[in-house]
Amino acid sequence: MPDMELQLGLALPTPNIMKGFDLNNHGLHHLKQTGCFSDKSKRSFDQAFGNFKQDRKTKTLLLWSGQPNEEEDHKDQKKTTFSAIDDNDEEEVEQVVGWPPIKTWRKKIFKQPNGAGGIENNRVADKEKSRSIYVKVKMEGVAITRKVDISLYLSYQTLTNSLIAMFSKDKKCGDDDYTRYILTYQDKEGDWLIAGDIPWQSFTRSVQRLKIIRNRD
Amino acid sequence: MESFELKRSKDSVNSDQSAHWSSFPDEVLERVLSRLKSHRDRSSASLVCKDWYHAERWSRTNVFIGNCYSVSQEIVVRRFSRIRSVTLKGKPRFSDFNLVPENWGANIHAWLVVFAAKYPFLEELRLKRMAINDQSLEFLAVSFPNFKALSLLSCDGFSTNGLAAIATHCKNLTELDIQENDIDDIGGSWLSCFPESFTSLEVLNFANLTSDINFDALEKLVGRCKSMRVLKLNRSVSLEQLQRLLVNAPRLAELGTGSFSQELIVREYEELESALSNCKNMHTLSGLWDAKGIYLPALYPACTHLTFLNLSYAALQSLELAKLLPHRRRLKHLWVLDTVEDKGLEAVGLNCPLLEELRVFPADPFDDEIVHGVTDAGFVAVSFGCPRLHYVLYFCRQMTNAAVATIVQNCPDFTHFRLCIMNPGQPDHLTNEPMDEAFGAVVKTCTKLQRLSVSGRLTDRTFEYIGRYAKNLETLSVAFAGSSDWGMQCVLGGCPKLRKLEIRDCPFGNAALLSGLEKYESMRSLWMSACNVTMNGCRLLAREMPRLNIEVMKEDGSDDSQADKVYVYRSIAGPRRDAPRSVLTL
Repeated sequence: MPDMELQLGLALPTPNIMKGFDLNNHGLHHLKQTGCFSDKSKRSFDQAFGNFKQDRKTKTLLLWSGQPNEEEDHKDQKKTTFSAIDDNDEEEVEQVVGWPPIKTWRKKIFKQPNGAGGIENNRVADKEKSRSIYVKVKMEGVAITRKVDISLYLSYQTLTNSLIAMFSKDKKCGDDDYTRYILTYQDKEGDWLIAGDIPWQSFTRSVQRLKIIRNRD
Repeated sequence: MESFELKRSKDSVNSDQSAHWSSFPDEVLERVLSRLKSHRDRSSASLVCKDWYHAERWSRTNVFIGNCYSVSQEIVVRRFSRIRSVTLKGKPRFSDFNLVPENWGANIHAWLVVFAAKYPFLEELRLKRMAINDQSLEFLAVSFPNFKALSLLSCDGFSTNGLAAIATHCKNLTELDIQENDIDDIGGSWLSCFPESFTSLEVLNFANLTSDINFDALEKLVGRCKSMRVLKLNRSVSLEQLQRLLVNAPRLAELGTGSFSQELIVREYEELESALSNCKNMHTLSGLWDAKGIYLPALYPACTHLTFLNLSYAALQSLELAKLLPHRRRLKHLWVLDTVEDKGLEAVGLNCPLLEELRVFPADPFDDEIVHGVTDAGFVAVSFGCPRLHYVLYFCRQMTNAAVATIVQNCPDFTHFRLCIMNPGQPDHLTNEPMDEAFGAVVKTCTKLQRLSVSGRLTDRTFEYIGRYAKNLETLSVAFAGSSDWGMQCVLGGCPKLRKLEIRDCPFGNAALLSGLEKYESMRSLWMSACNVTMNGCRLLAREMPRLNIEVMKEDGSDDSQADKVYVYRSIAGPRRDAPRSVLTL
């Protein structure tokens, strides 16, 4: 079952993982409650697409208990810090203070403009032709974000083919074969647009992120 | 040398001609003891008898102080009069991860003032996690005419102006090693401050600095320091500049390149390749910032004698690493980013049979959305190919008990096992069980284990195992683990050689804290933060154990009774007088 596979593949800090939750329902229900994931049954196309434009600054709070205890209402339950997970947040935010235990100067390497290969940023400054251009790709309804190197593709077609291959195993049951998807991207100004309107080269210079959303027309 | 014989003949100095050890003239005893290099051996020797104590202290030239607050400057200079080299460590290790308040302390200046008076011939100063400002660096530079070696690791409070003072005044400098510091890089021309007549530098490491340096000054410096054997550049140095430097320094044993991604024409590439392959003594290579796969082949012919390769600033993919490694069969130490993924680690297992140390750092540590990096499979693959592996630092997003059991079966000689499953409290990803059995396997199998960092979902059982089996364990780091006080009690009740215990975000409270009463005096330090310890518990500990310093750091807005961060350490200097207001000493 795709749901279970997805759950097992994830590494997200929720109290339920520590409790040993029932994978079938409980976990997913809780994860939905925290708002980490887009829940396909709740979001319409407009809502999905509309969210990209509005409210880029709203953050989804993931409250995480500092105590890996069994009891939810342990009286000394501490919340170390909360993390802000925002789809459109360009910066990476620390989930818990000082965790994972990486030295400060090492974190700074990744935040340099040139990036350590630009892993932490959405894009690498592509001054030379040989540089990779990694952008994040999210698919609606799929929890896992991936990264693709745009510089490896020559056209929208090849990119789309590759994305289909990448995400085909993540398609949930319940989608019929006629479900169609739209590839959208976020440009340098932060706007979300449908991919395909501008020439490929302009696209590669402009794209910051990709999102594959379901076409509900 | 049998110590029990000596104890029987304490007053032998002026006595008969019998060949008892203690009737040796002091100078001979000192000469013999001066051969002892290890601090622990020296400490043991000093305890044998009074003669040995004195001979040892007069012959000691290098003093190592693992906690700068465990002893006072006066005590040190009174005991040792001939010190040439000092190593000092300051803040608790968790300060690396921003858990220690700023201005906590560990300022070097008071030490420098005393050393200037008592050790005017001081040659070496090695500091770790100390606070040092530019004025102190300048004071250092002008107070010790013989000063040779300065090493600053994870320190803070100074800028490149301080380095300029060192360069200007230390005429005999052989080593300037600036690593991983929180340094205020104003840039500027500190490198140009080395005078034209200055030629003694052997070790230069400024990889930590972010700003551009004066390359002209650097080139001239490297050119005239013919004994240079360690050169670690920062990112601002380009490939073309690297080649120019290497032409003048073919005897380098350790090289840290600058940025490894400039576009080169064929001739430039060939010159670089040639310059690198001329460095026949090179055994350590690091840097490689932004390394692109297409330039890595320049490294292939060079450095076939490499024993240490640090790729942790280069986001290499698995294939790139796989192509690089077959030329590196002598590798003993390898540091990589997890962009190499499990496939890259498989290549490590296949190509590096002599590997002793592996560190895998995460490229995207704070991004939970991304699922890549290394898993249990990569670690297992390395363990099959590298039976000599004894030091590992591994950041991953999933692990299983079975994998760890296999790993330690393949590599039973672990001395340092630092596993960081990045999601706090995450269970075995296949069975969903706690990771207790994993660490149980580690401590049962690896009898030489000295250092352990645990992670993942852990119950008290893990700590039962540790307390029972980890007989040689000296350092233990625990985060987001355990079920009750019992866990910590097991560790404190077992682990006879425990010296450093650092704990964060665990359900250990006063009962656990107080169960270690007797133990703390044999340890260097204990750190507990975000646990269940209260102020009353700390006060009780302070009352019972007057020779321990108990420091409590509170967080803003926390309950008055909670002791948010507790740092306990033994000291013969008494409570420190330089604590800031945010640190309460009980």
